[in-house]
Amino acid sequence: MNQTVPNQETKKVDTKKIKSLLNRRKGKMKRFLSYCAHCSLCAESCFLYMKYKKDPKYMPSYKVINSLGKLYKKRGNVDWKFLNEIKGIVWKNCVLCGRCYCPIGIHVPSMIAFARTIVRSQEVYPQLDEASPESWL
Amino acid sequence: MFDFVQGPLITIAFIIFILGILFQLIQFFRLTRKKEWGRLPIAYEMKPEKKTAEKILASCLASLNGTLWKTDPVLTVATSVFHVLLILTPLFLLGHNILLDQSCGWSLFSFPEPLSDGLTLIVLLCGVYFLGRRILLAKVRAITTIYDYVVWLIAVAPFLTGFFAYHQWFHYETVMLVHILSGEIMLITIPFTKLGHMLFFFLYRFFIGGEYSFLRGSRTW
Repeated sequence: MNQTVPNQETKKVDTKKIKSLLNRRKGKMKRFLSYCAHCSLCAESCFLYMKYKKDPKYMPSYKVINSLGKLYKKRGNVDWKFLNEIKGIVWKNCVLCGRCYCPIGIHVPSMIAFARTIVRSQEVYPQLDEASPESWL
Repeated sequence: MFDFVQGPLITIAFIIFILGILFQLIQFFRLTRKKEWGRLPIAYEMKPEKKTAEKILASCLASLNGTLWKTDPVLTVATSVFHVLLILTPLFLLGHNILLDQSCGWSLFSFPEPLSDGLTLIVLLCGVYFLGRRILLAKVRAITTIYDYVVWLIAVAPFLTGFFAYHQWFHYETVMLVHILSGEIMLITIPFTKLGHMLFFFLYRFFIGGEYSFLRGSRTW
């Protein structure tokens, strides 16, 4: 894990920056999150969900709720452990293909992209020299 | 208690419902802004093709394949019926219209009582289906929280208690009190909970969808 986030031993999580990023798109993103009816109808539109034997953790709604949703829930007060947890969700479990379908019309890719922006601001992103992408999770 | 629930609380609930929805709408449009360059020019015009009835029907049926109708037909029917009846049944219920006539002097058209009773039963059955799905299906269970069950209860409770009240099951006055109270709770919570998808469904699906297609985008989302 230390290899994937080189500075995490010495550098503190910049929660101030995370908060300011979260606030920048708070209105739109919180609306998207709060109007999700948790119906799971987006599941089948995700090819990763279909490919991984319909594992719920690949559902678009699951990915959004457990990354951006949790970031808003914690109001940006997060630690490295949490950032590493959502790293796998936003960088590996979603490829931003934009094919997810929401019956209410919630735009899932923009939310995952925003979660990526936030974790990237803390230098949490896949490294080219990582031995295996599985080590992210 | 009964007087308050039956009298001022109804007005309060309607005021909160209408003001809440207006507030959310204004906020929604404040979050977006007009595009600096105004409307995009049309790059090309499609020449309308001559369409026969069979072609239109075939294209309609083909487009259904790309929708939820293909992946989950039962839920597609259940959710469509549930949401339409959720609005129509209380609006055209005889009892509600009599009350409306007594208090405002005007009322809407009413369905025959057995029809309203049947429609209520259909809403309840759809509600049971949604609950079953939430409990039994792993993909729905994975993102379900206690809040989802509360929202389900808020949506179904007015119909369940209304059904009991119509058939005069249990203690009528108590059932009626719970019925009115649950309806008021529903109205108050719509603008501020995920029941707000009642309004935002239309904005997200049709308005923003339209902005990206035939409206050619006049705002930045």
